Amino acid sequence: MPQIFFKEQGQHVEVAAGTTILQAARNAGIIVESPCDGVGTCGKCKVLLEDAPAGSYKVEEAHYQMPPELAEQGYVLACHTKVLGDITVVAENTAKQNKSLKILSEGESFSYEIDPYFHKEYADGKTKVYAGDKLVGEEDGDTRDKFYGLAIDIGTTTLVTALIDMNTGEELGSMSALNPQSLHAQDVITRIHMASKPEGLALLYGAIRDEFNNTIHALCKKLNVDSKNIYEVIYSGNTTMIHLATNVNPHSLGQFPYTAAIKGGNTIPADDLDISPFGDIYLPPIISAYVGPDITSGVLAAQLEKKKGTTLFIDIGTNGEMILAQDGRLAGTSTAAGPAFEGMNITCGMRAGDGALELYQIQDDGSVKTHTIGDTAAKGICGSGLLDIIGELVRVGVIGKTGRLVKPARGKYPEPLKANMKEKDGKPVFYVADDVYITQSDVRQVQLAKGAIRAGVDMLMMALDVDEQDVDCVEIAGSFGYHLRESSLIDQGMLPEAFRGKVRFVGNTSKSGAKAFLLNKGTRTYMENLVKDIKDVELSQDPKFQDVFVKAMGF
Amino acid sequence: MAKTAEELNKELADAVVDMDEELVGDLANEVIENGYDPLNAIDQGLAKGMDEAGKLFEEEEYFVPELLMCSDAVNTGIDILKPHIHLDDAGERHKIVVGVIEGDTHDIGKNLVKVMLSAANFEVIDAGRDVPPEVFVDTAVKEGAQIIMIAALMTTTMDRIADTINLIKERGLEGKIKVVIGGAPISPAFAKKIGADAYSINANAAVRIAREMLG
Repeated sequence: MPQIFFKEQGQHVEVAAGTTILQAARNAGIIVESPCDGVGTCGKCKVLLEDAPAGSYKVEEAHYQMPPELAEQGYVLACHTKVLGDITVVAENTAKQNKSLKILSEGESFSYEIDPYFHKEYADGKTKVYAGDKLVGEEDGDTRDKFYGLAIDIGTTTLVTALIDMNTGEELGSMSALNPQSLHAQDVITRIHMASKPEGLALLYGAIRDEFNNTIHALCKKLNVDSKNIYEVIYSGNTTMIHLATNVNPHSLGQFPYTAAIKGGNTIPADDLDISPFGDIYLPPIISAYVGPDITSGVLAAQLEKKKGTTLFIDIGTNGEMILAQDGRLAGTSTAAGPAFEGMNITCGMRAGDGALELYQIQDDGSVKTHTIGDTAAKGICGSGLLDIIGELVRVGVIGKTGRLVKPARGKYPEPLKANMKEKDGKPVFYVADDVYITQSDVRQVQLAKGAIRAGVDMLMMALDVDEQDVDCVEIAGSFGYHLRESSLIDQGMLPEAFRGKVRFVGNTSKSGAKAFLLNKGTRTYMENLVKDIKDVELSQDPKFQDVFVKAMGF
Repeated sequence: MAKTAEELNKELADAVVDMDEELVGDLANEVIENGYDPLNAIDQGLAKGMDEAGKLFEEEEYFVPELLMCSDAVNTGIDILKPHIHLDDAGERHKIVVGVIEGDTHDIGKNLVKVMLSAANFEVIDAGRDVPPEVFVDTAVKEGAQIIMIAALMTTTMDRIADTINLIKERGLEGKIKVVIGGAPISPAFAKKIGADAYSINANAAVRIAREMLG
């Protein structure tokens, strides 16, 4: 059996051939940080192979793309590298680093001082609770060690709530739940429409308030925390979600000139949440009607304004929200990509659940490698799978430049694939699994969605007078983006070819940014000021938009 | 051996479908050089080609970019042919007002409808986007248009279309001005509910509906 020598830890571990380095480390009780649990998206489990002979290991393709300079040095992802022979692995001891550096598990972040807006002071048997400089309450006894806050990412579809110890900055636990509003109205616009009427707003607000309280109870129970010791909550989400979570009529968001009724950058009472009676909710500043506090959190977490060179930050979803940063100058916009990325409006589309095709690769010989969520037979295609499929079909020529499915007789694509092109109701369809196929209309939906994102990117670059080649780094945020591979974004043209090799997936920065807002009060005034300087690029107002969008629809 | 007018028309139509703007230009010049009827070339050549492109669009063979390229080719041809049309030959073209409803600025769909209607030889009055109901009705009355085509791309704005239809009724123009509606959130059921005269699923259908309405 192959033997791995973990150099830093001085441990020899014997494993069955084909075991991943990550698995081997875990078996031996060695901690290799793996925030994405070995899915291959976060890139955090990099380890260095020392003088490993060829054939002693095998690197499999992951979502995460190793920067070439690191690959040359011998870095590999522990989760995607199988051990075949004896090797020496240098896995840094990250536990020590993490105490000083706030690296957050689900979303990238930066290091900051623990200095929350709230603080406690103990004297004479009482603990005084302060919000900023203001005394807001008093508790019996010394409660200084019971000092918690919540960072909530309010997604259109999912809610992620993290309970954080405000003394240490440690995330004690987190919980995800479906945004219950999605049961009533799925997309943002429909929700705005519904909540423009008082009874609709009452229903949507009530639903999310109850879900927040359910989550608070469940998290507190699990972590053995009294919810009365939660003092502050950060709401990070798109502008519409923040309106709906704070019981504000969102009508103006749905009508030209699309303005927000609130600005964010303030605290509001948390009377409707089951937390401390002195508690409040902080709303990060809103950039615009369609570039929300989730992006403000992202800008903060990614430290975009401090980055040298040019960085494009995108949250790909039903609305593609994006920020382009060049040496401290920032511009932002959003584009309506529609629900195709959620598997909606797609013939065999489905949400990212068991049986959803999420990976689709065409090998040189024309054979196909696929993977479904839950390792079951393919039932449908989820959003990330859809992009993967379209990217691959474009790459090999099954889909032509204009988006047409190319008939086998005229196609130059590998022979084995030609059998997958069949007819259904007189129209061409391409089978990607036994009962799962792509129609011409599906391709058109993707063209609209990816064209919208690409048009946003192009218009943003025009607004800051930046060339594709000048972009040094592309950071993809959000849970959807997390399931994508760089190649499937570039092969189908959602991002320019010039971005190849520059794409990174930064995860849920809405949540990690919210945590920074919770734990460091200085970030608030800082971001409130910074947001004012972000140039808002309104696409539907620009006469160039149609041409750019139409051009971006092609492959 | 010079081509006949019919042959040229056929080639014009094919060039439009092939999105070959340059060839359309050459062929249009050939029409003029041969002294053929420019109106006939528009009607039997360019418009026929655009009809075919519209069909391909409905069959999903063509998509938005191709349709717009076909339309560019048509416009190139019209620009060359138009100066040679004698005004009294031209006759009266039917007028149609198109626009995006108040509160909404998403106008690519509306622009496609405009392109298809123009190519089908309707006179299109573009009211633009974010158009209040009064402006739709006033424009139609002022221009003597019998059809208003209204697009909405957001659920939040589509209710304003109903206001336009009510306004037509209030002003006693029902039946004189017909309303055709379309756009992503619009369904035939919604069109029926608010009393629109027709629902158009896409830009090509809009042409068909207009032709039927105007006989």
